[in-house]
Amino acid sequence: MKENKTLLKKVKSRMFGREANWYAYIFLLPWIIGIAFFVIRPLALAIYYSFCEVNITARGIVCEWIGFDNFQEIWVKDINFIEQELSFLIQVILQVPIIVIFALLAALLLNTNLKGKGIFRTIFFLPVIVVSGPIINELQGQGATSVASSDQMIVTQVISSFLPEWLVEPISGLFSQLILILWYSGIQIIMFLAILQKIDLNMIEAAKIDGATGWEIFWKITLPAIRSIILLNAVYTLVYLANSGTNGVINLISAAMLKATRGYGYASSMAWMHSLIVLVLLGLIFLMLKGKADAFLKKQKKIAKENKRRERQRRRWEADAKKRADA
Amino acid sequence: MAIKGNLANPRKFQKDQLKIYAVLIPITLIMVLPIVYIVNHAFKPLEELFAYPPKFFVTNPSFTNFFKLVSATASSTVPFSRYLFNSIFVTVCVLGFTLMFTTMAAFALSKMDFKGKKILSTMNDIGLYFVAIALQIPRYLIVDKLGMHDTYIAHILPIVVLPVGLLLLKQFVDGVPSALIEAAHIDGAGEFKTYTSIILPLVKPAMATVSILMFQEVWNNTETSSMYIDTDAFKTFAFYMQTLSSNTNSVAGQGLAAAATLIMFIPNVVLFITMQSRVMSTMATSGIK
Repeated sequence: MKENKTLLKKVKSRMFGREANWYAYIFLLPWIIGIAFFVIRPLALAIYYSFCEVNITARGIVCEWIGFDNFQEIWVKDINFIEQELSFLIQVILQVPIIVIFALLAALLLNTNLKGKGIFRTIFFLPVIVVSGPIINELQGQGATSVASSDQMIVTQVISSFLPEWLVEPISGLFSQLILILWYSGIQIIMFLAILQKIDLNMIEAAKIDGATGWEIFWKITLPAIRSIILLNAVYTLVYLANSGTNGVINLISAAMLKATRGYGYASSMAWMHSLIVLVLLGLIFLMLKGKADAFLKKQKKIAKENKRRERQRRRWEADAKKRADA
Repeated sequence: MAIKGNLANPRKFQKDQLKIYAVLIPITLIMVLPIVYIVNHAFKPLEELFAYPPKFFVTNPSFTNFFKLVSATASSTVPFSRYLFNSIFVTVCVLGFTLMFTTMAAFALSKMDFKGKKILSTMNDIGLYFVAIALQIPRYLIVDKLGMHDTYIAHILPIVVLPVGLLLLKQFVDGVPSALIEAAHIDGAGEFKTYTSIILPLVKPAMATVSILMFQEVWNNTETSSMYIDTDAFKTFAFYMQTLSSNTNSVAGQGLAAAATLIMFIPNVVLFITMQSRVMSTMATSGIK
């Protein structure tokens, strides 16, 4: 009987991991059900459809397996996709750093003890609720998101005098969208503020007593402490940009979905390609922001390796010298 | 300079803070622009709406847009209040369920040890990165197959689990020191007790953030109404507003749309301002040193 029980326990622990973790599954259950039905299953279906020609008829959806034809068409025949994807890439490269850095600066400023900081904070977060939803489209349509056009002409001329042609347009576009970019940073500011308030003030005080300036404190204490949130914010911004309705690729996908000549299968393979590109960008962000934690260890390892190599070389030389001496 | 202010904690206004104001005030003005614009736009009479070049401020404010909106709703079969009730009901349900489920999942994923943890986290990430629009049709099929078509459930269930929410909450639960949870276990608290009396109070700011995000998602959502719902009586306010501004002819529709935008926008602002103070006030306490 006892043996039986321990055996049962063993089996259980093999199946579900270390002890007491039934609770974990209980806590996760509603979420798992939700995500299985409304995220994972649709995703799986979307994979399946991306290899098909999908026709929506009165009797339901009819799929015809066509293999990689959709993907081939996207990369080889469809000019729009690659063009939109490229402009998306440039947009991400330019805008993610701007948004994250702006949010950090704003959060640093808002974290001080100002008069009326409550009002300032509220106003800085307000765009969060403006940018989402139908309001932003109307604003954009009315041109309220751009700086006055006369300035933009000058900016474009200045930029084109020292930058290659293909970069001029995105950068001058950046100026015309500057306000919009600032509006996108509300959530990021909230998250930065949250983490900034968690930094241990004693540490800063200690650094101050040891004679560190505000600049040094920022680089040595504040920045390392908020690294995880910088990463999170960069990821959040990327995902937001990738899925926002103002993105050309998204418009392309939703247009293709309803087109008779393209159909849903084509749209979903396009969506997969887009997700893949986002994933690659995400990997890059991770590499850039996460890898630095080990930079010191890496250096140490490198130095150790170098020392070993030198040691080996020295020994070889010594052996050579000995041989020569013997001869 | 920011840190300095934080450190010295000046109680009153100081001269050297002027430089911070010099940066903050212009940016604040930029941030306020859209709200000013929305309010102004709603009060513009027709000829000003189409003025070229477009004007930012209204010169002759009038209530015509709102009167038109009211008269347009009076002629429809389903009363205005029904749409509003639907919206409020759906929003409250989604917010409640989301906060409960995502905090629970975040707690389990971040602080518990079990098999399949990595896979589940990855699943959430994939859900996050994938283009949401492309899931519309499969989602429609699933809603249809589960027999949820044309019910309130179709509004609620498909958007209850928001991957972004879990991502944010998990990050915050990661920040809760494990020592606190261990201490609770030693004092005899079970997992559920730990969840209610340690995790929940500590991640309140993140919950406030998620609920602001969620509110945007639900309140402005027209997709569930147009895709899963056929009966007018079950559709939401956002959808109704959209049809108003798109169905009526586009010239008169502009005014209606502007007024509708303002009406849709007000609950956002109210919730935001109330939640925002909570975000700030609960943020500072981490509970352990």
